[in-house]
Amino acid sequence: MRYVLRKLAQTIFVVVVVTFLTSIALRFLPGGTDVIVALKTGPGATPEQAQAVIKELGLDKPWYTQYFSWMTDFVTGNWGNTFQTNQSIATEVKRALPVSLYLMIYGQFVALSLAVPTAVWSAYKQNSRFDRAASTSAFAMLSMPNFIVAPVLILLFSVNTKFIPYPSIYTSIFDDPVAHFKAFVLPSLTIAIPLYAGYMRVLRADVIGTLQNDFITTARAKGVGTGPLLFKHALRPSLFSIVTSAAVNIGALMGGVVIVEQFFLLNGMGRLTVESIFRREYPTVQYAVVILALIYIFANFFVDLAYAWIDPRVRAARALG
Amino acid sequence: MTDIDVVTDEHAPEVPVLADAPVKKVKVKRRGRITKWLAIGWLAFITISAIGANSLPYIPHSCEPGDSMCSTAVKGSLLLGQLPPKWAFFSEAPKPVNGAPERMGLMGTDKNGFDIFSRSMLGARNSLIIAGLAITFGLAIGTFLGMIAGYFRGKVDTVIENISNVMLAFPALLLAIFLVTFFNDPNTTGAANSRPLWPIILALVVLSIPPLTRLVRANTIAYAQRDFVVAARSLGAKGSRILFREILPNIVPTLLSFALTGLAILIVAEGGLAFLGLSVEAPVPTWGAMIAAGSEPLRNGAWWISLMPAFVMFLTVLSINLLGDVLAQRFNSREAIG
Repeated sequence: MRYVLRKLAQTIFVVVVVTFLTSIALRFLPGGTDVIVALKTGPGATPEQAQAVIKELGLDKPWYTQYFSWMTDFVTGNWGNTFQTNQSIATEVKRALPVSLYLMIYGQFVALSLAVPTAVWSAYKQNSRFDRAASTSAFAMLSMPNFIVAPVLILLFSVNTKFIPYPSIYTSIFDDPVAHFKAFVLPSLTIAIPLYAGYMRVLRADVIGTLQNDFITTARAKGVGTGPLLFKHALRPSLFSIVTSAAVNIGALMGGVVIVEQFFLLNGMGRLTVESIFRREYPTVQYAVVILALIYIFANFFVDLAYAWIDPRVRAARALG
Repeated sequence: MTDIDVVTDEHAPEVPVLADAPVKKVKVKRRGRITKWLAIGWLAFITISAIGANSLPYIPHSCEPGDSMCSTAVKGSLLLGQLPPKWAFFSEAPKPVNGAPERMGLMGTDKNGFDIFSRSMLGARNSLIIAGLAITFGLAIGTFLGMIAGYFRGKVDTVIENISNVMLAFPALLLAIFLVTFFNDPNTTGAANSRPLWPIILALVVLSIPPLTRLVRANTIAYAQRDFVVAARSLGAKGSRILFREILPNIVPTLLSFALTGLAILIVAEGGLAFLGLSVEAPVPTWGAMIAAGSEPLRNGAWWISLMPAFVMFLTVLSINLLGDVLAQRFNSREAIG
């Protein structure tokens, strides 16, 4: 319990700093206020107009008031409208968020569900032909960022064979499951490939280590079959690093989501952020970045809790340290 | 019964494996050596081509403003547009123009008729310079912070660790995007026409500092408790002397392998930024921007525009990763001995 509280306190601290940096820091950078005013008024505004905008946005108030009012707006969902198209930012984010969440979840799911069996089998049959093929290909995949995988997959499945439509069009899973999965197959695979490579390498190394333990020999001597031996006895103690890297990868995943959405023209958070940047819609960018950062922070928090479940020793060790 | 079968199955092949184990070992080792030299060779090739990219004997890779050769299409800018590479006998140009050859160059041409191979090499220059500078600065700062945190511990350590925790809490690419766009804004930089290089480098440096700090800190802690450091301290050496004369030389090999891995990661990150159009300005090629430019023609079957720079980038990143792996293994084993 103390461990959970400690982690919670740390998480809240990080949340405060992150929201503070994204919301306010912009205004304190040299020329930051001018940028915001120029965005709102358009070029060639008179000083009076600029002054009015500063008043309206509260830019003349002290920083803690600004931060507090920003946080209040953020929590209550009063996010205002975009500068140029005058649409509600909240609606835009609400439309874009599920696309990115699906993409992230599918990506992680595909990567993990491919990596776990491959890694366990590779570790069990160490230095076999299967292991060497799997390890070499994983090493190669490690050097394949999303924007290299995406054109290859598009070429294979959308241009040459027309198997999957490109660009991907998002449809809700409840309206049309087939179209939904067709839209997400290639993007999730693109995201999953570099992730898979990392997971597979980490888990393989850990399972090799676990298999040398005495309790594995004992289990084997008791007559436990190969399948249960690997997946019941050996897997759980080996999960530590892969869970860590799955959590660390959520950050990389978001970078991947930005690029993959751009490549497949999916209208998710990544695309919203990038388009807003090009249209200089800083508030939209701020909210999008904060939302993504919050997802990342809380995912990490839950992973920290998951450690304790995987390895009870952590609870004791971390509560002390 | 089946269980016993499994066990015998397991133990049966062990004898032949032992018998030809030395042969296998040699084979694996040699293969590793060959790939290592291939990687070094590719990197040398890329570096030389990047340096000499301007004088490569190919069709122009970009148009200088006011270059009459380009604008009058004597070199056939649009005439040579979107031709597949020479060896791609299975590919046909989407729109064969009268008088134009069907295939062109080692990697084909893009829609302006620029040779993709020479553009890739020019892109290599930009990508390598940006990522190389970024990892140099990042490593310098990260090493400094990491060594201080790892040696002095206490309050300094806590402060540095909390700062890097916060920095790590931002998704990396988003942070880079945020920094680059803000500093690229014509309102803040003043000059609207030329986009400066330093925001990209700054963003990449910021990305690389926290993980490097952590790694260096862990290494420093490991060395700070070794006998020779304790001896130096008991002889009355100052903290700075111990850090730079005793600990730093020992972590340099590890730093080298971090530098290579980091370089690969930063090349990919720069590629991502360039893909989103946030790196160097458009006419100057970078790998990411070339891949992005090719994603549109890809739909019509013009695959080489995207895939060729992607392939060059993949080989480069793969080579760097391989060398980083080789270095890490070598120094790890040496550490185990010493």
